[in-house]
Amino acid sequence: MRLDWFRLQHRAAPYLFVSPFLILFGAFGLWPIVKSMILSLYVTSGPKDQVYVGLANFRFLFSDADFHIAVWNTAVFAFWSVFVQLPLALALALLLSQRWLRGREWFRLAFFSPNLLGQVFVAVLFSVLFVPQYGLLNTVLHSVTAWLHAAMPWMPVVALDTKWLANPALVMPALVLTSLWMYVGFNMIYFLAALQAVDRDLYEAATVDGANAWQQFKAVTLPGIRPVAVFVLITSTIGSFQLFELPYIMLGNGPGPNKAGLTIVMYLYQTGFVSGDLGYASAVGWTLALGLLVVSLIQMRITGVLRRGAE
Amino acid sequence: MSRFPYGHAALSILIVAVVTGGWLAAHPVRRSTATLTFWTFAKTHYDTYKEAVPSFEAAHPGVKVDVQLVSGTAVTSRLQAAFWADLDVPDLVEVEISSAGSFFRGPLEHVGFVDLTDRIHRSGLWDGMVQARFAPYTSRGRIFGLPHDVHPVMLAYRRDIFEKEGVDVDAIETWDDFIRIGRRMTRLTDPGRRYMIELPDADASRLEMLLFQRGGGYFDPDGQCTFDNEIGIETMKWYVPLVVGPNRIGSDLGGGQIFTKAVEDGYILCMVAPDWRTKSFEMDVPRMSGRMALMPLPAVRKGERRTSTWGGTMIGITKHCTKPDLAWEFALHLYLDKKELAERFRGTNIIPALRAAWDQPAFREPRAYWSDQPIGSLFAALAPEVPFQYTSPFISTAKGKLSEALVACVQYYRNNGDQGFDAFVRRQMRQSADELRRLIARNPF
Repeated sequence: MRLDWFRLQHRAAPYLFVSPFLILFGAFGLWPIVKSMILSLYVTSGPKDQVYVGLANFRFLFSDADFHIAVWNTAVFAFWSVFVQLPLALALALLLSQRWLRGREWFRLAFFSPNLLGQVFVAVLFSVLFVPQYGLLNTVLHSVTAWLHAAMPWMPVVALDTKWLANPALVMPALVLTSLWMYVGFNMIYFLAALQAVDRDLYEAATVDGANAWQQFKAVTLPGIRPVAVFVLITSTIGSFQLFELPYIMLGNGPGPNKAGLTIVMYLYQTGFVSGDLGYASAVGWTLALGLLVVSLIQMRITGVLRRGAE
Repeated sequence: MSRFPYGHAALSILIVAVVTGGWLAAHPVRRSTATLTFWTFAKTHYDTYKEAVPSFEAAHPGVKVDVQLVSGTAVTSRLQAAFWADLDVPDLVEVEISSAGSFFRGPLEHVGFVDLTDRIHRSGLWDGMVQARFAPYTSRGRIFGLPHDVHPVMLAYRRDIFEKEGVDVDAIETWDDFIRIGRRMTRLTDPGRRYMIELPDADASRLEMLLFQRGGGYFDPDGQCTFDNEIGIETMKWYVPLVVGPNRIGSDLGGGQIFTKAVEDGYILCMVAPDWRTKSFEMDVPRMSGRMALMPLPAVRKGERRTSTWGGTMIGITKHCTKPDLAWEFALHLYLDKKELAERFRGTNIIPALRAAWDQPAFREPRAYWSDQPIGSLFAALAPEVPFQYTSPFISTAKGKLSEALVACVQYYRNNGDQGFDAFVRRQMRQSADELRRLIARNPF
């Protein structure tokens, strides 16, 4: 009897320990996923009033100008985030892994520290920096460009009343700048960790073979950090496509002038929780999820992760 | 402890879970004992309502009212979610005008607010209040909110600078007069150093106010989109050259401390000033006390309306309220008690929607900040002229579409000036309105 109880206990114990996660995931993860898939087939006014429309929500996405703007803005942000942020993060990591650099631990902390702040705080901070006429950024840019203009008259001067957050053409650069400040240091930490894991003997061997710094970077460093780089690439892309708080706060709880700061998630939020059409918002969410899956698969294929996995 | 078969870590987690869970179970959140719970989103409202509660409780023994200050964004999102999920919602709530329409989506019987139409007519409030102010809280002919205010609009201006430059504001009757003087005042300084009026070129907040002045708006009473009608097109064609191009007289830097600095520096000379905003001026730009004054909005044509409206608040009773009659009495206590309203005007500068309150002495008091003008009387004189603004569940989207059209027209005018501008404005307004109409057409409710 005692033996049976002991066996039962041993068999049940693993399930018991994972059950809190499974219950929570089922209630707050799996069920909302299933429910949103069902909802995406309805036009709704809150959860009480629903009319079944089949795939009409998805069809409407193709002709919805606002959704197209949101996709374009998000893609542009993701492009700049990936192709500026990641090289910068890698460059910083390479610099801060050099042994000759004094105070590099302090620099690492300094570059990482913006990430200790919340996105909302950073958004508020940059809203102030971007203020026209009296903001720090415009004041500095105006002074510097005016000084350069004196020496090189063909050089344009940045106007003091440049409206970073009220000019549709400048909203995206402002968002990218803000996200660079916040995330370059964060991704730098990943690259630093990866760089430290690269076998030092390989560099010595490359040096003996006469490889210069660039050749060493191409032949030793990049292959060495590839798994981490792919991870950072994919997580950055996904993070960029989920952009919401930065533009929402910086642009005064809205999409900004001419919807220049409208992102897919912001559109989803507005459709679902401002306009009340949870069905259409679910369709937007599923389209985003599928889009991210496709982009991630493409990235994994380009970087060779799928091939290596198959091997 | 050594006999626990799954190790120390698991035992520690178990102990922490049991202790914290036990503590939470032993200290449940105390349920509110209030008879009525009331949410408001404005600090100035909250402060004055707290003072009005004791007299209501004294007149209703055993009744306790809990007034809660909840942020405006939270009111919208939390209340909407609570309505949907049948969760605990307050008995009464104040909702800001721009989000009120979003609560009226869906069949009338599923709107989360009590239909107040019959109560309003029975109690004579329909005639006693400014009728235009019921429009933003009305859907399909039913009224779901009692208007808190009228929010007539005047122009606040730097009196000291105007006097120094010899501008006679009494001579400004129409926008044409204003623009003529504005061009002179704007050109007195180096380019980009001074503008006659605070007008943004990328959001439609002031454009819509000027659209209302002309009798236009986003929707008609039936909820049909109308901002691309002839009034809307004429307003856009008139507005854009004010904020872009060689003859511009308007600029906008944003709010907060920047706005304070812009006013103090004389970067902008005139600001659109609904009643509520005059209190913001007093609080945010205190150093301009005695140097500011108010004038009526210039008319589009001589003899026409000299005001508009900007902003607003309604009080609504939720369907979850178990004592709707008591809630209605409380709403009337807050919105109809003339003495309370007069006292509240002193604290907020807001003209109540109840006409009978405007003859209280408080409204005639001169205000030092506004160069001793009796701002209550000035606003009250304009209040009956305030235009109607109709709403729809798609009001937020409509505002976005008008802003989009504005940005496009500004860009066009910057690049091309007057050439082809008329046709472009018509095309752009139609396109923005049609996009909105397509969204509305998807709504089966």
